[in-house]
Order: sequence, then C-alpha cells, then structure tokens
Amino acid sequence: MLGEDQLDATFTALADPTRRAILARLAKGDAAVNELATPFDISPPAISKHLKVLERCGLISRTRHAQFRICHLEQEAFDAAVSWIEENRRIWTERFDKLDEHLRDIQRTPSRRRKGKANE
Amino acid sequence: MSDQTSVAHELSYARVFDAPRELVFRCMIEPEHLTHFWGPIGVRTPLENIAVDPRPGGVFETVMVNDADGSQYMMRAVYVEVVEPERLVWTEALSGVTTTSTLVDLGDGRTEVRIRQTNVPEAFRSPEAQAGFSTSLDRFAAYLRQLSGDSER
Repeated sequence: MLGEDQLDATFTALADPTRRAILARLAKGDAAVNELATPFDISPPAISKHLKVLERCGLISRTRHAQFRICHLEQEAFDAAVSWIEENRRIWTERFDKLDEHLRDIQRTPSRRRKGKANE
Repeated sequence: MSDQTSVAHELSYARVFDAPRELVFRCMIEPEHLTHFWGPIGVRTPLENIAVDPRPGGVFETVMVNDADGSQYMMRAVYVEVVEPERLVWTEALSGVTTTSTLVDLGDGRTEVRIRQTNVPEAFRSPEAQAGFSTSLDRFAAYLRQLSGDSER
C-alpha cells in the first residue's frame, strides 16, 4: 500500500503541466525516456527530474531494456488519484450550482428570508 | 509562482455567489439551508439527516440519500474552526480530509466562497480507492482540461 508521503507526492506530481503531459503520453503505452523528451522543449536532465518525481509517488515505474530506460504508467495508482479528484470536484461543482439556485430563491422572497432569521 | 505549492496534496474550488456574505455563511451552517444544496445532482440530504453544531469540536454530520437507489452516504466531521461570517474548517473523521471554506465579501453584494481541501491523501486508503478504478483517456483528457482551466492562482 502506498505510504502517506507517497500519496502527498501524487498531488505534487499532478500539479505540473509537463508531468501531466508525460502521464498522458504513457497512458497510450510504455515509452523510452528519450521518446518522452522529444515533444517537450526541455533538456533530458529536466525530463529525468520529472520522471523521478513521478516514479517516487508510484505513478510510473522504470525498467531497463538494453541501453534504454522504459517508463510505464502505474494505472492503479493513477486511476485512484484521478477518480478521487474528479469525484470530489463534481460534488463541489454540483453543490455550488444548487447553492447558487437556493440563494436566488431565498433572496427573491424577502419574507421567507426574514422568517429564516427569526427561526433562530 | 510555482503551481506545485498550490495543488500539492490539496484541492481548491471557488465560486462567486450573488448574495451577501452573512447569508452565504448561514447557508453553510444551517440545516434548513443545507438541505437545499448539500447533495450533488440526484442526491438529496433530508433535513433530519443533518446535524450541525457550529463551534470548534462540534459535529457536522450529514447522510445523503441517492434518489435512484436509496443508497446512503454518510459524512461525519467535526468543526475545527468557526469564524462567522468568514471561515469554516471541518475535518472528516474517517478520511482525515480537512475542508476549509473561506467566504470573501467582494464589496458589491457578492461573496466568493473558496473551498480548500487538505490532508487528502488519507482518502486514497478507502476500500474503493484500493480496489482500483478503470479510467479512460477521455476521462483523463477531461480531467486535465479541468485542472488547467481553473487551477487557483
């Protein structure tokens, strides 16, 4: 099971646009480090740093094939993080939509609003 | 500024409401109001399922009910901080997730509510998270759009 530090790190990892792009690429299939560096206008050492962050939090793993290091998306860790975030975001979005509507309702009828206050 | 610090192990949402701050604050602590909006779409929170004791150490408990199949979702939290009308902090007992609501008076009759969730990682230990989820590239793409679209500055 992932340790708490690792899980904290998952959010740090997902916060960076380059790392998110790397994850999007790996979602299509494994890739060598140099393949991953190609679409980005940054140095191999910088890519390597991003990969280290992703590896540390368990979102990817790296294995060596001949002289290549192959990166692999750890689907389960990744899905757990994304699902939780998505679900939570959806709940707050819908909750806010309803609150917005509710605030309109109670402000449209001032008498009800006052009554609410008097209920205390 | 690096966006790493703002999103690292926490999540933020914000919304501007066309209502005075005092009213928005009351909506967030009074069951009579909460019952109207607490559940997301398709989920209601009956008045009798809401317990609120808005003071540090007081409970904030809700049982939401899914309209479709009647399944229930319980949230048990305890208030850590209650500063009327600007700040509410509660911690969920099971997950350890702490939610901070900050209400900002925009000075023109509108109020911005900022929700910040910290200590989120514990939530990953839930059975659902451990069982793993299936996800698709489409969902991931949508998620990325959301994340880049409204990340907090």
